[in-house]
Amino acid sequence: MIIEELMDRDLTALTEDTSLAEAIEVLSIHRISSAPVVDLDGKVVGILSEKDIVRAALPGYFELLQDPTFIPDLGQFRFRLRRVSREAVKKYMTKKVITFTENDSDFHVAMILIKNNIKRAPVVRDGALAGMINRADLLQHLMSEGKDDA
Amino acid sequence: MIVTVTLNPAVDEEYMVPEFHLGGWFRASSVRQLPGGKGINVSVILKQLNYDSVAMGFLAGFNGEYIRDAMRRMRISTNFVHVKGETRTNVYIVDPVGHMETGIAAMGPYISEEALSRFTINYDRMLKRASLVAIGGSLPPGVPQDYYRTLVEKAKAVGVPVFLDAAGPPLSAALEIVPTAVRIDHRFISVTLGYPIDSLDKLVERISQIHAQGVEWAITACATHDGLGNIFYTPNGIYVAEIDVDQAVSMIGAGDALMAGLIVAHEEGMDTEMTVRFAMACLWEEIAHPGHGIGGMDKVKSLVSRVRLEKLD
Repeated sequence: MIIEELMDRDLTALTEDTSLAEAIEVLSIHRISSAPVVDLDGKVVGILSEKDIVRAALPGYFELLQDPTFIPDLGQFRFRLRRVSREAVKKYMTKKVITFTENDSDFHVAMILIKNNIKRAPVVRDGALAGMINRADLLQHLMSEGKDDA
Repeated sequence: MIVTVTLNPAVDEEYMVPEFHLGGWFRASSVRQLPGGKGINVSVILKQLNYDSVAMGFLAGFNGEYIRDAMRRMRISTNFVHVKGETRTNVYIVDPVGHMETGIAAMGPYISEEALSRFTINYDRMLKRASLVAIGGSLPPGVPQDYYRTLVEKAKAVGVPVFLDAAGPPLSAALEIVPTAVRIDHRFISVTLGYPIDSLDKLVERISQIHAQGVEWAITACATHDGLGNIFYTPNGIYVAEIDVDQAVSMIGAGDALMAGLIVAHEEGMDTEMTVRFAMACLWEEIAHPGHGIGGMDKVKSLVSRVRLEKLD
């Protein structure tokens, strides 16, 4: 199956000039963990994830945060988060974005998402954002397909 | 790409209540819940006619999630700004025995300046990919009354045709910028005119005024002796189109079907007479069953030749 049938056609996106504060609000209110960053023509130029935002607030500590024995100073985190919140998305977004097209196969996309530990990725048509493909949706689809075969 | 704008969407709840009357207690024979709002309805019908569109506007809360999810399942592209509060619910009571419909529309969530600004940025970006913009419905609280004017102005500045279905001050302000096509709800046309419309001549007079402003297509519904009519002031004259209403079940979404038909006719490059017929056939197919939506292109095409058309002198 091609991912056109599985993708989410929501075009919610940030621009490079969007502030981190606004980006956080968009992620929160849309209940998404990352959002594509597009230019004025809708072309995907980056992606901003929660991870990028945490890294923006605590650049030196990000790796330490992964360590279960490390106890972060949340007061310090809040202070730094507020400080970077006025800065533009373009400074912290991931510029090397893995994108797919609507005609890519489910299996191919699932493999790349799993391999690169990506939860959601942009689907583009002529370079412009056409939607997002979610790893969870792919997994659910692959699982239900397996049921039919069993 | 066709872009539809619904600034004040709704979850439409349609209750079929035979012999409904005020002050009574009734049990509905059926209940339907559907994503609604003029632009959203147009997007849904376009999809049923095999045309893709991007639906834009504001969504909020549980109802907003419901609409977004429903649109996703229908594979309609969306670019809504999510805001705090709750997308409204509109209630329609359809009496299939008394052939009467009652509607109650809520206000909708408050739209902050920041949310409106975010929408405007999205709209500007989407205009670069748009072949046509369809704007429809009421404005939610917080949105300036002349905002449709802004949207029409922006689209015209980049050469994108605008089809508008609105009423009251938002329509009046937008008319100054001259959209490509305008559908005026007949219930509000006398308000825009300032005096009651009690004859076909007066209706034609008002439609003519709008056309004289430069609007290529001006449309409104009119009562006819044998069915349901619409007056079309087109670039090639005035037409009165009429359909049978014997098998009409629900008029909800009828105007949106007509707009979707006009859009498809525009995209397909149909001639004037065919455009009128096709738009009316979409409306006809829409009212033939409860809820929103049509049964597809074939059903619409089967009705095209049955639309009665009269060209006025």
